[in-house]
Order: sequence, then structure tokens, then C-alpha cells
Amino acid sequence: MKKEIAITAYKCKNCGKIHYPYHDRCLACKGRDFEMVKPQGDVRLLTFTRIYNLPWGFDQRYLTIGIAEFENGVRAMGQINVDESVPLETGMTMKPSWEPVRVQAGENVYGLKFTPIA
Amino acid sequence: MRDVAIIGAGMIPFGRRDEDTLMDMLAYASLKALDDAGLGDKSVDAVYVGNMGGGMLQRQTAIASSLVDRLSLIPAAAETVENGPASGGSAVKNGLLAVASGYYDYVLVVGGEKMREVTGWRATDFVATMTHPQAEYPYGITLPGMAGMFTRLYMEKYGVTREHLLAVSLKNQEMGALNPYAHVEMALDREGIFDSPHAIVNNPTVADPLHLYDLCPVSDGAAALVLCPLEIAKKLVKPPVLIAGFGQATDTQTLQERDDPTDLKAVTLAAQKAFEMAKLKPGDIHVAELHDAFTILEIAESEHVGFFKKGEGGKAAAAGKTRLGGQIPINVSGGLKARGHPVGATGVAQVVDIVFQLRHELPKNRQVKNAENGLTVNFGGFGNNVLAFVLRRVQP
Repeated sequence: MKKEIAITAYKCKNCGKIHYPYHDRCLACKGRDFEMVKPQGDVRLLTFTRIYNLPWGFDQRYLTIGIAEFENGVRAMGQINVDESVPLETGMTMKPSWEPVRVQAGENVYGLKFTPIA
Repeated sequence: MRDVAIIGAGMIPFGRRDEDTLMDMLAYASLKALDDAGLGDKSVDAVYVGNMGGGMLQRQTAIASSLVDRLSLIPAAAETVENGPASGGSAVKNGLLAVASGYYDYVLVVGGEKMREVTGWRATDFVATMTHPQAEYPYGITLPGMAGMFTRLYMEKYGVTREHLLAVSLKNQEMGALNPYAHVEMALDREGIFDSPHAIVNNPTVADPLHLYDLCPVSDGAAALVLCPLEIAKKLVKPPVLIAGFGQATDTQTLQERDDPTDLKAVTLAAQKAFEMAKLKPGDIHVAELHDAFTILEIAESEHVGFFKKGEGGKAAAAGKTRLGGQIPINVSGGLKARGHPVGATGVAQVVDIVFQLRHELPKNRQVKNAENGLTVNFGGFGNNVLAFVLRRVQP
């Protein structure tokens, strides 16, 4: 079953700056009141890398990771669902999803994944 | 505030030191610095130890308390300073402020890390624990991965090329081959890591677009300094080196929250503060140790501290302007790239290397002629906590 994207961003009620992850005070104006914002729409890939020397906890050959921006301005990191043969470019539009990104203590840890739109 | 001088500097060879414990390395470097200072059996008032991973990698905490016991420096005050890969720089800062305030006269500053005790898999995870615990770490991001994403942005915005990165790599490996303290004492051949069809085997991709020889090695090592007020230092045997300027600045933890992720604001601010305190400009610096954990960082930092305009650092490296004898020699020690990067040791080791330069005691093939002023930049996280020091040779 498709899972809803479970990250929440925070829009400063004073200046409108969008934050993800959470901050207790706005990075721009130091305001303390935020409106919770769900990321919306597809994402635009801002940058990415393919990592071949993985950290403990990842028993696979490589991981492709990127930072992307949702249509409502929320920026977040996620894993990219592509194999090595698929060329990537910054600026590509991708479909976000909420899927297992690693396994810890035998349990799936969910997070953002981005899939290029064919 | 009193002027503070460095009167002792010491370092042990970086590398894989299976025979030594973390405490062995800290003790050996400390003794070298204490002997260099010529303090004999005189004790110090305080000890600051920069270390990031003792608790995780060695299951050892309260490291500074253990070190004063090991070195018979009791009852000196002792503290461990943990600030990620900037732990060493933060330890130097704590020593500086303690002496400058007038509270202590003699302070020992040590930085050390033992990273080769665990597998590369574990060491990579250990370093990645400095990333954001919810927004970054779960995805498997590594510090080379952060650098890979930064490099892609820098290439797109400023036209940095793999040739520019290669120039940094070749230069630092060449200098590391001359440095007896370096982890990788091996000059590289351009053909073997870049031009040849087999280069991808020798120099594989680690975090696209970065390759193996764009990265520093994972190292064991330690370095140490002895600080005291300048007025006392002038009466000692070796030429003192003044800590003329210091600056520290922070930035957002995640790259994605920076308005321009290619702008290393903390580097710029830390360097500006250090230059302002020293009453010097970037053009007054004769030698610099920049935090080249990745080749792109040497290029980016050389621009952010003001040696070159934005977008010119890569071209300057390729043109030889950052080599020994060039406009501004950078990482003559081999830098993190070749000397190695035992994370807690690095910020101290950079200062030790500049002290060697400013005392004019290195062999000709490594000495910057008539160097009077030096700069160090110690880069924590991915640029979210940066320390800069301006050091000045004190004329006898």
C-alpha cells in the first residue's frame, strides 16, 4: 500500500520562510511561530551523488542520494530510485514517495525516495 | 586580553597505527610538544584534548582526565573538546582563550583520533553521525556524499572541472611524499589516476563526481601544542609564534537549508574575524593549511578566505599558484589529503605545520621562504562549524 509522505515542514508565520527539518526559531527572522506544511507535488532535483563506499547498515553496492525541492518550496534529502545506467541531471522532475530507506534492528526505516518521471 | 604564543609543537606520524592506543598517541604527541617547548619537568596549568570519536570507536570517554594521569600532569585542569572534525581547532581555541584571559599561563593542547581500529564501513558510519539524525543520516548519506553533492553544484555554478580537482590532488600528494608525518607518503602519477583507460580502476568513483584520490584517507594520529603568554614566550629559546587572530562561525546543519549551498558562509566569517583580529589581509598570508578533506574544499576555501575570487580557485590551483613557490602555497604539508585526517587531530596538526613553517625549520623542499604569517582553516560538519587561525612569526 502506498504510504503518505511523513515529513512535515515548518513555515514561519512572521516571514514565510519554509524550514525542514524543524527549528525552534526561524533561521531568517528568529520568529517562534510556525505553520505546519506538508510537502506538495513533484520534486525538482537540485543536486545528487552516487555513493559507492557506504556506511555500516547498508549492504548493497551503491546508493544514489539527492536533495530536491517540492513544488511548495520544501527542500529535503532522499534516496533516488535509479540504477547506474540511468543518467541523472540536476533540474530533473521526479516523483516523491515514502518507502523503506534502510533496515535498523530488523525494522524498516521509512523515508523519502525520488523516482525520475519517464 | 593577553597576547598568546605557541612555544611548543609536536606531532606523531599519521597513518595506520595498530600498535598504539588512542591514549598512546595523545601522550606521544604531548611529550613532543612539551619537550619542544623546553619546559623540562615544569607542569602545565590546563590541558585541552580535541577528540571526536573516543566514545564511539574506542569505548573511552573522559579522555583528557586520562591523559593528565598518563603524563603526570595532575592537578592540571583537563577537558575533552568534541566538535566533530573541528574538535582540534576548538581545543586550540579553548587554550587560546584560557591563556588570553589571564587565568592560565601554560596550556597543553592536544588533538588525536584513532579511526583505523574499526572497519571502513564502521568508520564511514561514525563520521556520518555528524549529519542530521532525521533529515540526513537515515538515507545513508556520508561525508564524501555531502562533498559529492557540493562538488556538483560548485562545478555547475563556477565551472570547476575534474582537472582542477586533480591539480589539488597531485600537489598535495607530491608534498605529502616529502612529509615524514604524512599518512600517504606517495606522489601520484596523472596518467595512472586520470588519463589512462585504467585510471578508473586505480581511482574509482567514491561519491560521484568525486573519486578516490579526491578524498583524504581515514587515519590515526595526534598532534600537540604548548601555549603561554607572549611576554613569557619571548624569554624562551625557540622563536615563539603568535596566535595573532582567531575566528569561528557556524552555518545550517543541512546543506539544503542554505540559500546558496555553494556559499561556505562560516568559512568566510571565521576567516574575516581572524584577519580582523590580526590586522592582516588575505594578501599578507605567506602559507596556509586549509581543510582539504576533499579536493573541492581546498578550492572553495581558497576562495572563501579571500585568496582568490569566487570561481578562480580551481584555475589558480591548476596554474600552480597554490604550490610551494607560488602566489600562496596551500597545504605544503600535504594537507588532509596526504597527511591524513584523524578527525580530532586535524585542527591541531594544521597549526603545528604552520608553526614549523613560521619557525623556518623545515627542509628547503617544504619550507616557504621567509614565511612570516600563516592561516589555518578547520572545517567541521559540512561547513557548519569552522575555525580559522592567523599565526605570526615573532621577530627575535
